[in-house]
Amino acid sequence: MTTRLPPVQVALLEAADAETDRPITDLAGEADRKPETVTRAAFELEDAGLVAVTEETEDSLTLTPEGERYRGEGLPELRLYEAALAAGADDEPAGLGDLLPEADLDGDAADIALANFARKGYGEVESGSVRADPDADPDADAERAALAAVAAGDTSDLEAATLDRLERRALLERTERTARLVRLTDDGVTALMGGVEPVERVDRVTPELLTSGEWEDVDFAAYNVEADAEPARGGREHILRQTANRVKDVLVGMGFEEMAGPHVDAQFWINDCLFMPQDHPARTHWDQFALAQPDAVGELPDDLVDRVRSAHLEGVGEDGEGYHSPWGVETAASLDLRGHTTSLSMRYLSGYQKGELDPPQRCFSVEKVYRNDTLDPTHLLEFFQIEGWVMAETLSVRDLMGTFEEFYDQFGITDLEFKPHYNPYTEPSFELFGTHPETGDLVEVGNSGVFRDEVTEPLGVEADVMAWGLSLERLLMLIYGFEDIRDVHGTLCDLDLLRNVEAMH
Amino acid sequence: MPVVDIDPDELRALTDHEEKTDEDLQADLFDLGLEFEGWTDDEEMQLEFAPDRLDRLSVEGVARSLRYHYGDDRGVYVPSTNDPEWTVRVEDQPPDRPYVTGAVIRDVDFTEGSLESLIQLQEKLHATMGRQRAKGAIGVHDLIMLKGHEARGASEQQRGEETDPRADATTDEAHSNPGKRVRYTSVDPDDERFVPLDADTDMTPAAVLSDHPVGETYAGLVEGFDRVPAIYDAIGLFSFPPVINGRRTEVSTESRDLFVEMTGTDQWTVDRMLNIVCYALSARGAQIERVAVEYADDAPGEYAGRTLDRPDLSTKTKTVTHDRIEETLGVDLDEETVVDCAERAGLDAESTTEGGTPVYEVSVPPYRVDALHPLDIIDDIGRAYGFNELEPRYPDVSTVGGRHERSRLEDAARDALVGLGFEDLLNFHMINEAENFERMRVDTDGDCLGAGDPVTIREPYSEDYTILRTWALPSLMMVLENNTHRSYPQDLAEVGLAAEVDEDVNTGAAERRTVAAALARTDVSYEDAKARLQALATAFGKDLATPATRHPSFIDGRAATVVLDGEPAGVIGELHPAVLVEHDLEVPVAAFELELDALS
Repeated sequence: MTTRLPPVQVALLEAADAETDRPITDLAGEADRKPETVTRAAFELEDAGLVAVTEETEDSLTLTPEGERYRGEGLPELRLYEAALAAGADDEPAGLGDLLPEADLDGDAADIALANFARKGYGEVESGSVRADPDADPDADAERAALAAVAAGDTSDLEAATLDRLERRALLERTERTARLVRLTDDGVTALMGGVEPVERVDRVTPELLTSGEWEDVDFAAYNVEADAEPARGGREHILRQTANRVKDVLVGMGFEEMAGPHVDAQFWINDCLFMPQDHPARTHWDQFALAQPDAVGELPDDLVDRVRSAHLEGVGEDGEGYHSPWGVETAASLDLRGHTTSLSMRYLSGYQKGELDPPQRCFSVEKVYRNDTLDPTHLLEFFQIEGWVMAETLSVRDLMGTFEEFYDQFGITDLEFKPHYNPYTEPSFELFGTHPETGDLVEVGNSGVFRDEVTEPLGVEADVMAWGLSLERLLMLIYGFEDIRDVHGTLCDLDLLRNVEAMH
Repeated sequence: MPVVDIDPDELRALTDHEEKTDEDLQADLFDLGLEFEGWTDDEEMQLEFAPDRLDRLSVEGVARSLRYHYGDDRGVYVPSTNDPEWTVRVEDQPPDRPYVTGAVIRDVDFTEGSLESLIQLQEKLHATMGRQRAKGAIGVHDLIMLKGHEARGASEQQRGEETDPRADATTDEAHSNPGKRVRYTSVDPDDERFVPLDADTDMTPAAVLSDHPVGETYAGLVEGFDRVPAIYDAIGLFSFPPVINGRRTEVSTESRDLFVEMTGTDQWTVDRMLNIVCYALSARGAQIERVAVEYADDAPGEYAGRTLDRPDLSTKTKTVTHDRIEETLGVDLDEETVVDCAERAGLDAESTTEGGTPVYEVSVPPYRVDALHPLDIIDDIGRAYGFNELEPRYPDVSTVGGRHERSRLEDAARDALVGLGFEDLLNFHMINEAENFERMRVDTDGDCLGAGDPVTIREPYSEDYTILRTWALPSLMMVLENNTHRSYPQDLAEVGLAAEVDEDVNTGAAERRTVAAALARTDVSYEDAKARLQALATAFGKDLATPATRHPSFIDGRAATVVLDGEPAGVIGELHPAVLVEHDLEVPVAAFELELDALS
């Protein structure tokens, strides 16, 4: 049976021997291939069980450039000894100052000579004078002999201590070399006997390969499909934006139309229309961002201002009472960064933003609001508020409950509880609690209610309006379990967190 | 939201429910809207609640609500009052704090706990209805230390001749006003001396304001007053409202009879605060005695020449239709249920039938400050009925939903940028001047993108957030600065708000959506930004031109105006090295910013 293999593997198989381990370098030479290519082929054949690959490690010794130089010029200590003998220092000590130039030693070489001279017993160096030992034998210097032997490639007779010493003197470099040896296995022999035929193996699919039709005759190199690739990075829509869009999708699906309006707005729209008394604690600048510039709205609709003022001072309806708080149009006209997007609801419900609206209507916005709060892991100075309202001829608390159950169910928040609450602008009012999808805890998820007559009547709305609000960040934190909202929203954000966060769907 | 500290043992005693465990009480209180927040060091329960039912600011008020909740009490309760022995004469009082009210409380039997509860109630009322004492401030005195004036001044002899048709809770019988009197008036702050609470020596009111810790705290309330509020008895000044009481009349657990006075800027408000205090003390078994509040003919304010009989514990009536109750709750109810719910809410409802559908005359007790409209009664009835008993239903109302045009455009731009490989960012609209201008080398009065008069916050809380950004590129630079430890390339984009002052706009601020993008990596150049800008313009079908310009944030010769369909819309360029170094960046940045509307 013929075995089809890539050409390199065929060449290697044919060159290898079943009796002896042969170095890959030799086999590559015979096959006239690059050793790297043959090595890869050897491992592939080993995986296929056709050859056995073994490894052998050997030290190889080479002289450093410095070692090479001393082999030619002689070791510095020997040159010093020669110069000392020539100067008769075996009898009378000779001055170092005369000997060094004589031996052509200076700088580092002089230091090296002096350091090794005494160690190797060539004499003594004392207070600048050198005495040479007449019995020393430079010809028997083991280090000199070793330099010559390493250069000649014959190191079998050398003592390990001598080689270590030369290595420490940086005259010698020791490298470990792995030689791979290949031997044919029985299966390899069997395959060879059955016949092997080279087949083209290719790496990349190229246009030529496709157009020529050659692709039919080639084998595609297998990749390591499990290895990690270089990281690829595309852009991502911001996770909070994804959450906002998810909310918008849900609300549009429930028949809500999106509102838009100013971030810088008159307190009239932000607070007065909402029946918040002007001396309400939440209206101090400690809770809201009052503006130094611009400082007053251009104009407000006069008749609406009159009706709102009257609601505050006199109340609405036969039995209605107003607040016992002062009300001035200057306060209403002053400008703030909106503390809630209910200002948009007021603009829309009054007809000021888009013209008169007849019931039924559903409107929403998912927009930024601003609170003069302390920045901490769960509170931002600006955050997104989900605002929604429904206007119809008659709406009951049950309609409100049904709407919110439907909305929160879309985010996996179920078993909604309605805790009676107080807002100046809604009655009845409810805090909404829901069961957390992951932890199962009861968590506050929003605030809601039916707008008071003191709100709707001045706006000219003759229908019921129910509304609710919720922080988008809170919804995000509930869904994702983020602990510090500052990592996500704002200039302190962590890019890695944004890059790696799970997509919202 | 207000927080009140309640001793559960006191609550058990006052409700007469010794069998209730702490957990039972917490659950019952949650039903009433009082959330258990934790325990104080004195083992009292901290309860948080919405600021409508201010009559629950003390253990006595909370106990009363619980007794109605348990069904132990029903209907309106009004404590009896004794006829007055004391008069509060009001003359020459400060025009900016013209109103006063008061009551005498007999036979209080204080324990440490009940005295503390009174002090807490006083503080909590100051913080809420009293608007930090500006609108109403309470003074409680040991009556035994007061000596009433017996004689009447000449000015008082003249009064009482005229009758006031508006008066309902006033008496015209001037000479029936009892003879023991104290006087609410004003005094030159340097001309009087008294020993205030927590002091050992007498001080002038002016010295109290500058040297006494309580005086310093509340000095702002009488700032600009030529003459400050003062209350006198026959001995002398004993109260300097709204700042501090005199030490002479200090209340202790030994006190048996009390004189309570409240001054403020609104009569209704101080009268209601007084009612809440009277109900709390009455619940402890004390007897309330009315006082006559006698405004001089020439006294400032709207009660000149009238005498008010206080406390005014009369109930008020709201008319509520059966239809509106059913409409709001979304269920059919019979009359008995409505009346029963009202009584369990501490109200009385009397049903009359007008043309077939019942109408209720509902009496509201005088401690309720939150019932402005029949709706508030319906809410009480709903709470008594149990809102969570109601079956949710999806409203049978059909509407068509849709996105706002601008938000669709924003999303389209964001999608295009993300497709080009930008990380979409969401930064704060608030920033400070240094980040928005100086660190970008932009002057407010220049004419380049980013220059302009910023929307500026008054008295900002944080120095990092003082204005609204006039452009978005500074935000992107800040993100790059804060992420130099993260891997490059960092290609960032944001579609968001920018604003500047503009007198021609109704709100005084021109708000616009801006599209900003920045590319940061070792080998980035103008061309990389231009390539992406071209792709963006193409995606929105716009003709793009980029004539050279100068902009202080960018390198000269590598900056251009972004012109879309012939209209200038923004700027593109390589950020100036001075801007990069300022933001601690060691890589070049190429960027562009343009108005979102230019893509529409």
